[in-house]
Amino acid sequence: MTESRTLRLQRAMAALVLDADEDALVADPGRLARRLELSGADQGSFRDQGPGMLTYRELARMSLLEPLEEMFPVLKALLEEAGVWSTCVQAFLDARMVRSSHYRDIAPSFLGWLAATGWGQDRWPFLLELAHAEILEVVVARFPDSDPLDGLHADPGSDDLVVMDPATQVVSYAHAVHRVTEASPVPEARPTQLLAFRNAAGEARVLELTPATAALLVQAQTRTLAQAAEALNLSDLVPVMNLLRDLHRDGAIAGFQSPT
Amino acid sequence: MTQGRFTGVGLGLRRPHLEQVAGMEAHGVPFWETCPENLIGDGGRNHRLACAILDRDPVLTHGLAISVGGFDPWDDEYLRDLGDFLLRTETPWHSEHLCFTSVDGSSLHELMPLPFTREAVRHTIARARSLQARLPVPLLLENITYYAELGAAEMDEADFITAVLEGADAGWLLDVNNVYVNSLNFGFDPKEWLARMPLDRVAQLHIAGHKKFGELTVDTHGTDVIDPVIELMQWTLRRLGRPVPVLLERDNHIPDFEALLAERVRIQQAYDAALTLCGHRHD
Repeated sequence: MTESRTLRLQRAMAALVLDADEDALVADPGRLARRLELSGADQGSFRDQGPGMLTYRELARMSLLEPLEEMFPVLKALLEEAGVWSTCVQAFLDARMVRSSHYRDIAPSFLGWLAATGWGQDRWPFLLELAHAEILEVVVARFPDSDPLDGLHADPGSDDLVVMDPATQVVSYAHAVHRVTEASPVPEARPTQLLAFRNAAGEARVLELTPATAALLVQAQTRTLAQAAEALNLSDLVPVMNLLRDLHRDGAIAGFQSPT
Repeated sequence: MTQGRFTGVGLGLRRPHLEQVAGMEAHGVPFWETCPENLIGDGGRNHRLACAILDRDPVLTHGLAISVGGFDPWDDEYLRDLGDFLLRTETPWHSEHLCFTSVDGSSLHELMPLPFTREAVRHTIARARSLQARLPVPLLLENITYYAELGAAEMDEADFITAVLEGADAGWLLDVNNVYVNSLNFGFDPKEWLARMPLDRVAQLHIAGHKKFGELTVDTHGTDVIDPVIELMQWTLRRLGRPVPVLLERDNHIPDFEALLAERVRIQQAYDAALTLCGHRHD
């Protein structure tokens, strides 16, 4: 079956917007149409409307890159200082990883690409953690709303499991990536545990946890509080219960339930 | 297709205004327009505020996500969620852009022009009909601004839009600012252009600001609406002879809510004046 001319033109437009080699495109927008073997008339259309065609490149790139610049300001500062931010962004565009039509998914797509490719992580081993930490709060803030979970109670017992709110994340990093700034984007190498959650008003909050608390929150989701505390050598459950009540009141924990 | 409760000049529901609008029932805005893809699958405080407003006030829905003229398969899960959302908001119709936005699964997040060719007309009609069959409310298609023709054209934009609207039997969301911007960039008379079009299909208008960058004028939605565009809206309303709803778009350099309300009142006064001239009262 002959490939549709309409589809060939759309593919050429996507290449014009996303491909590298800006200087060559500016010099001759028709070059891309020739490379893609469009008809002579269609090549002429690309060539003769250079400024208009390149406006699409500018507009689409603005749409695709603005969320990255807004969501990853520290990562951008780090890579700009090294002169490779544009290289990084172009590699991301080349991978055609923006598959979702939701604008809010562009930044998570970039994070997914960093994770999948390991881009830059030989030179900056903390790069993925940094990017993850930069969007953690927004991802939690905008986690899809869901109906309240059934069968939970508000006061924890030693034989209970902890049930986190669906938006809550307990994360563990090898670097203190939550402490970096655009002026000082390189984090200290130090194990770091964070609790990111949404409060009752629906606003995101991030707390730094001790390693023991982070481990308890993770383990007590699959074994009873008493078992989790014992595994972590926490002999006194009173402060643990108080902390859990606080986190439930603040919205990080949805509630507590007996193991089934 | 226009339903009685949707007349006058509405506003897009914007994130910076959510808190204020949610706490304010007597805002004077006759309806809001919202992009479903910004709400479907979202959560948190802003989401809750937006949903509270949309459950309280009249709403029209307007999408950016669907590649009507593209080739990628429909996202059936999204279309199911969209259908539920449209029913929840009780919107009388849903609009999308007459363009393509993705290629081979890669989303470009920009409204890309379709070729003005017979093949593209046939393809887009089939896609629009297929999309309409998946939606619980009538589909409107919106004319876009374009900055270059994609490929060698076999017809002009007016004939392309007319052929698609007629062939797909779709309603028209007529963006008068887009017509005006295109008239500047491609050198035609916007009223002559509109006079050729199937205005009986118009169910809603869009109006917005634009900005000149060098030789090219770009549909920025980032400034106040200029008088010639308001005049074109009035001309169109008089020609239509019916009070279709007008949506004032403002997506960039979003002013505070009071300033946007004042801009809305300015457009509303022009809207009322145009309809009074053609014998319609808008109360």
